[in-house]
Amino acid sequence: MSLFGRLLRRGDLHSLAAPYALDALEPAERVRFERHLDDCDRCAAEVRALSEDAVRLAWSTAAPAPAALRDRVLAAVRTTPQDPAPGRAFRLPPHVWGVQPPQARSRAPRPRPLLVPFATATAAAALVVASLFAVQANRTQGELDTARDRAREIAHVLAAPDARATSGRDDRGRGIGAIASASEGKVVVTLSGYGDPAGDRVHQLWLMRPGAQPRSLGLFDGDTPLLASGLDRTATSLAVTVEPDGGSARPTSPPVVQLALESVGFGE
Amino acid sequence: MEADELLTLVAGGDQKAFEELYGLVSGPVYGLVRRVLRDPAQSEEVAQEVLLELWRSAARFDPRRGSALSWILTLAHRRAVDRVRSARAAGEREQREARRAHHPAFDQVLEEVEAGLERERVRRCLDRLTALQRQSVTLAYYDGYTYREVAERLSLPLGTVKTRMRDGLNRLRDCLGGVA
Repeated sequence: MSLFGRLLRRGDLHSLAAPYALDALEPAERVRFERHLDDCDRCAAEVRALSEDAVRLAWSTAAPAPAALRDRVLAAVRTTPQDPAPGRAFRLPPHVWGVQPPQARSRAPRPRPLLVPFATATAAAALVVASLFAVQANRTQGELDTARDRAREIAHVLAAPDARATSGRDDRGRGIGAIASASEGKVVVTLSGYGDPAGDRVHQLWLMRPGAQPRSLGLFDGDTPLLASGLDRTATSLAVTVEPDGGSARPTSPPVVQLALESVGFGE
Repeated sequence: MEADELLTLVAGGDQKAFEELYGLVSGPVYGLVRRVLRDPAQSEEVAQEVLLELWRSAARFDPRRGSALSWILTLAHRRAVDRVRSARAAGEREQREARRAHHPAFDQVLEEVEAGLERERVRRCLDRLTALQRQSVTLAYYDGYTYREVAERLSLPLGTVKTRMRDGLNRLRDCLGGVA
């Protein structure tokens, strides 16, 4: 090939960086481009940056995985051998992991079709998860560490085998979503559409039980999910009230929204 | 523990670490796969393959070269795209889309997901792209079309689509900021 031809081909290959980052190449082109990346540092750097952008598009789609998936994956892990570490350093950028053809499809039983109740539950779960990942942005490292610790605790509740979700809306379309694990005695709650109350006031979450005073489960910080623990199975519902800054020992105003917990394993 | 650290432990065969990693990444992995494939049953199957592949291939992860989360999501995206393309080629997609019409609950789920804050941020930033940049990026990333298919669908020359994809991603980065 002439020098001109080679340069042309290079330029042409280089223009594939964005389609590559978006996984928009055909298989043969993908292989050719990955080979090109091997000896083009500039392209590798560009692909890396573009791929980070593409991953941002992925974060916004997070949704809770079905509980049955967890059981299947963890069971499979117990019997699946691991591949050895690669003998030489990979020269490809970090995100290029798919250069090998995918392994033969596992023989795991076909998942059962999802039932509608699950899908409905997922709606509430999605509210919680989406705001969970939103907390990662624009924080200092210390704040990030705290947020991550909390995110981990929340993820733990979401991944509990008996985690179930419920949600409700008030007559103005504002919503409350909750994911609860009765076995862990924990619930993750989010508000959407309520914003911050006017003045020095806060949204406070209460646990309601028959024949008992409401118990405070904590104060909301905007749309950030609130994790409450120590719930026993007699809990019947959650309520949110607007309280003076710092919260109150007892509710001082009627609830702005309430949510029954029977469908998520409580209220015995 | 961070995903990076966990993945390193997983590479050493630590099943407890895998369980913790599962808690961190199963939602993002499943959500992304479902965004591309749309069919819940098939998404669950592909997500399962991806999560198992994390276990099997954890030793390939090199923390010096990027974050574990980007790595994992890139893998999930690629597997989802590979699947949606072979399904399309096999003509299954039309059938599934017909079947999906009977599951209104799923659309409702998507709407709820769209209420999420991060989703809102991304959508706001996507709105700031030109129509062609936005379509080029989303048809490829969320719908799994190759850039040739995107060019065909939008009746644009190949070169234009490649440029729109690059400009679109760059503008998205400016809008979303550098924090991942």
